Amino acid sequence: MTRAGAVVAAAAFAVLCLLPAGLAPGDVRTMTSVLLFATLASAWNIIGGFAGYASFGNVAFFGLGGYSVAVLMTKASWPFLPSVAVAAVLSAAFAALVGLPVLRLRGHYFAIATLGVAEGLREVVVNLPRLTGGGAGITIPTLGARATTHYPGTTGFYWYALAVLVAAVAVSAAVSGSRFGYGLRAIQLDEAAAASVGVRTTAAKLAAFALSAALTALAGGVFAFQQVTIYPERLFSVEITVLMVVMAVLGGAATVSGPVVGAFTLRLLDEYLRRHFLGTHLIVFGAIIVAAVVFLPQGVVRCSADAWRERRLGLLDTVRAYRL
Amino acid sequence: MAEFLQAAVNGLLQGGILALVGLGFSLVWGVTNIVNIAHGAFVVAGAYVGWELHDSLGLNPLLGMLVAAAVLFVVGYGLQRGLVNLVVNAPVWMTLLLTFGLQLLAVNVFVKVATSDYRSIPTGWAARSLALGDVRVPYGRLVALGVAVVCTAGLVVFVERTRTGRAIRAAGMDRSTARLMGIDVRHVYAVTFGLSAALAGAAGVLVGMVGTFSPPDAARYTLFSFVVSVLGGLGNMGGALAGGLLLGLVQAFVGQYLATTLVNAAAFAVLIAVLAVRPSGLLGRPFYETRVEAR
Repeated sequence: MTRAGAVVAAAAFAVLCLLPAGLAPGDVRTMTSVLLFATLASAWNIIGGFAGYASFGNVAFFGLGGYSVAVLMTKASWPFLPSVAVAAVLSAAFAALVGLPVLRLRGHYFAIATLGVAEGLREVVVNLPRLTGGGAGITIPTLGARATTHYPGTTGFYWYALAVLVAAVAVSAAVSGSRFGYGLRAIQLDEAAAASVGVRTTAAKLAAFALSAALTALAGGVFAFQQVTIYPERLFSVEITVLMVVMAVLGGAATVSGPVVGAFTLRLLDEYLRRHFLGTHLIVFGAIIVAAVVFLPQGVVRCSADAWRERRLGLLDTVRAYRL
Repeated sequence: MAEFLQAAVNGLLQGGILALVGLGFSLVWGVTNIVNIAHGAFVVAGAYVGWELHDSLGLNPLLGMLVAAAVLFVVGYGLQRGLVNLVVNAPVWMTLLLTFGLQLLAVNVFVKVATSDYRSIPTGWAARSLALGDVRVPYGRLVALGVAVVCTAGLVVFVERTRTGRAIRAAGMDRSTARLMGIDVRHVYAVTFGLSAALAGAAGVLVGMVGTFSPPDAARYTLFSFVVSVLGGLGNMGGALAGGLLLGLVQAFVGQYLATTLVNAAAFAVLIAVLAVRPSGLLGRPFYETRVEAR
């Protein structure tokens, strides 16, 4: 990370640490969701951004993480922290397992195969009611003798979400500057060429997928405990995957800050629209995604870096580059 | 035995509709390398056109189907020409996101205008069935299968025999060379997208005729289109028909012998199995698989 980057990151972290003191509980809840989405987008970025494997099934790891935490806390009476740690390990192992066949596919085929993994996992959860509660959901005990961990409340979850995001950004930054990260970028540009210069492509892709899965599962675990009762439809919703992709790409794929910037921008925009344009907010949100894809295909972070360097805003340049 | 036969017939009939839903999706993917997430929204849009024509003018849904196809062709042509062509050269996920945005927009406009109530285009005959021994064949679904077969055959003839069809294939194989040969690729891409939307619109009217539809169904139809295209393979217009019938059969047998809640999981299991063994699909040409990231 550059020195300027470290300063900005430290300043942002300081602001985020002070934030709960100055916000109403409802807004703290919104910010918690922003932090969780920033984590999901950063995690997606490791496999989708750096390695260029656009996973459309990362919600599988979100759901797996959430359900692992819920099942461990409910059926095995484990406390929250060890549950969430096990959830991350479990998701990473699952990613490595499905990654073996799925990471052989490319482009759209990879995207849809991962989507299939997520949909399949959801149906497995629905069809295992004795373990997962099935479609009726599962409730984590938070009160009385069966509660294994004291319910942390609105601000408590904000700290958990912030901790998870810090972990995700730290991992992204470490990956970005490492030999491993350059290997992933090489795979994105040309996998055959990367292999020919000594990148162990299969191992690198599996590691990136597993890392992405582990971070996603952490966010899923925090989300599940926060929700108390979780349902397969909610935890394996395709929309969560799409949102992490949109956030990472519009912020700037394959950058460390991009997914975080994208998540903050889009999630807060979504919240604003929800409050002021109830009923039409999804229409406006769809239109914004369309406009952003056309005008900001490189992402906010790269576009503003280019604008800063060239001293002009090149929105139409990118349109010229990608149009037919 | 009767149970088995009935499941097989149901699967094949449902497969016809699935094939028609996926046909246009497969065409666009094969030619322009765009995975159109908004395809399901075209299906639902077609169903609404058919429903509205029947509701306000009393038009027979089979005629309404032609109108829906024409309307959707214009919409599809305009969308590709004015919008999707702008990001054709961007990385894969860009077109995915663009069409996802379109889908979100369209579905919520439908909800706003038409509410999310389930609707159906009523006919006197679609729900009645032909009895062949113990097996029942609903007329509506039989007609739907017939339309799917006719559309597939028509598309094959169009793409193989006509001048525009040849231009579409050329643009799908090598865009730069096609342009050097004087083909207006912007127009050809738009025609392809328009055709795809028209087929989706026709499929939508059939869906509304044999069952129900509502805006949130759009996502499901996109998903089915994807599975149908991959199973059948790209670059082969008959592939979608084979993929649709296979998907229909898998869904029917899983629904009959395992559990209806496992239908989608089974569809994806088959999909991943086929991809693992034959990455270009059942009838696909290997060329289209290697061309995945072609610029």
